[in-house]
Amino acid sequence: TRFHGNLRSGRWELVVPRPPLAAMFADGTVPGSDVESLWRSARSARCEAKSCQTGKISTAETAVQSHTIRDAGVQTDQSKAAVQDFQQEVQVDYASLLSFLQRVEDAVIKELNRNWKSRAFDGFEVNWTDQNETVLCLHTLSYPEAQDQNLQVTSVSWNATGSVVACSYGRLDGGDWSTEKSYVCTWNLDRRGLNPERPDLVVDVPSSVMCLAFHPSQPSVIAGGLFSGELVVWDTSRTEDSVIWRTGMTDDTHTDPVYQVNWLPDAKHGNHSRLLSVSTDGKILVWREERDGRLALAEGFAMVAQQVPRSMRLKKFACGEAAVGVTSLSFSHFDPCVFVVGVEGGYSLKCSIAAEMPALHQMGSSVPLRAPAELAFSPHGGPVYSVSCSPFHRNLFLTCGTDGQIHLHSMLQTQPLISLQLSKKYLFCVRWSPVRPLVFAAASGEGNCNKCFCLGDVHLFDFEKSSQKPALSIKQAAGEHPVYCLEFNIKQTRLLAAGDAAGTVKVWQLSSDFTEQGPREMNHLEQLASEITD
Amino acid sequence: AEVEETLKRIQAHKGVAATIVINAEGIPIRTTLDNSTTVQYAGLLHQLTMKARSTVRDIDPQNDLTFLRIRSKKHEIMVAPDKEYLLIVIQNPCE
Repeated sequence: TRFHGNLRSGRWELVVPRPPLAAMFADGTVPGSDVESLWRSARSARCEAKSCQTGKISTAETAVQSHTIRDAGVQTDQSKAAVQDFQQEVQVDYASLLSFLQRVEDAVIKELNRNWKSRAFDGFEVNWTDQNETVLCLHTLSYPEAQDQNLQVTSVSWNATGSVVACSYGRLDGGDWSTEKSYVCTWNLDRRGLNPERPDLVVDVPSSVMCLAFHPSQPSVIAGGLFSGELVVWDTSRTEDSVIWRTGMTDDTHTDPVYQVNWLPDAKHGNHSRLLSVSTDGKILVWREERDGRLALAEGFAMVAQQVPRSMRLKKFACGEAAVGVTSLSFSHFDPCVFVVGVEGGYSLKCSIAAEMPALHQMGSSVPLRAPAELAFSPHGGPVYSVSCSPFHRNLFLTCGTDGQIHLHSMLQTQPLISLQLSKKYLFCVRWSPVRPLVFAAASGEGNCNKCFCLGDVHLFDFEKSSQKPALSIKQAAGEHPVYCLEFNIKQTRLLAAGDAAGTVKVWQLSSDFTEQGPREMNHLEQLASEITD
Repeated sequence: AEVEETLKRIQAHKGVAATIVINAEGIPIRTTLDNSTTVQYAGLLHQLTMKARSTVRDIDPQNDLTFLRIRSKKHEIMVAPDKEYLLIVIQNPCE
């Protein structure tokens, strides 16, 4: 055997025949290995291929045209405010209430004191709305047919929502028993297609309408007093016959024209109001609604000269038994039993619904008449055409008459507090403003005067600015037509409607200083009212 | 009781027109006004006080409302808030 040295391992090794070297390396190709993808197949095993297609949409073309038209009106009803009585359910822990009050009392008293002495806000005023500086005439409404017959506007009235104004056409200077037809027209000022020459509703009345009054809560009901002494109530929402109640000519009806009609809220019978009418035959009658559309007499008062309470300054009247012609009436806003009337003799009287004394002459009426007068006030130089009680003070009221004077009275004394000689013209209507305690408006016209210092027909007075002359005088029309009536709009407090003898009703929009109450106005009013002389 | 005396003292202060106490839910407990006006004041001022309080605390969570005064043309309304009650005093400032 042979040995050789192995260089690598360092030892002697046996020689062994070696295989040929080339056989250790050979070229070869190995097929690659494949791994099947599992997830793709698993995934495709769970999916399915689907397709969808919307169905065909069928269309057709047609035209539509309405051929019947109907007009309908909508009116919301007055909601009844329900106020729960809270006193019953609350459990009060007096101990904790006491400790709370003790904790806060000092802080509150300190703030009250500081506020009382503070001058921080003197003269500080904030304007929230755009100030409207001028008075403008918004609408001039008229009914040409009535104007062609030379009819005059005898009365205007706003409805309960403040959007409809109604006027009555008649004649105030028709002395004799006229059978002239007259009209009651209404315009809805909020309607888009308002045509000032075409009223929304025209009611033909066989006799002259002297006065109008819309119902205080039902927006479509209006009452009117006629020259014949009747009262009629219309419902303007009815398209056919709009008369719903009338008094008719009975023994109870007035024998002279009805110059003023008022709605009384009837507390006893729920929502049914009663009507009150005033006429120069001396009677003040209260009517209640009956079935079959009739108005029946519920209560009545008669003013007879003897029963008018005498005061020191009044001279004695002529014939003691003469009826006293009543021309106007106004209820107190604070005491529903008290009302003030103005009479043809020139004085005004404070009366009460609750008066018990029976009238001297019953004048053949079915209900016993009572004498309501309690106090007579110092007279004007001519008949009193309008009285108005203040909505802000329980004792104040205004009277105006044909002597061109306006008297501000307190119910506590016979002498007027303030007496204003407005002009030489007759004054037909006076009304307090519903928002500003110191403002009122008066309507004037007619009378013989060659020169008067105020040329206007509608006068606005503001006691804050001046107690002698009007703050503003508005000329209603170009000619010399007297303004017979005016009314403030209680809901839209900027509007004032005035009707004149030319047959037009003008709706005036007042400027902001006539419609925004100042901070000290009530105090000023209280001061005026308390200047009573003994 | 003493509650009535304290309220009378506040009401008798110069210029105070009305005093109302309401609880945390806005229900009036004591008042010198008529029902409907009281309910109106209570509801409105309760909401306003809660809003004022959340305004103060949103700006600074460490802060809280102590008193609320509203000055209007005719008078001043003062609200003293608390966890359980609210005292509302209406004063006519002297001018």
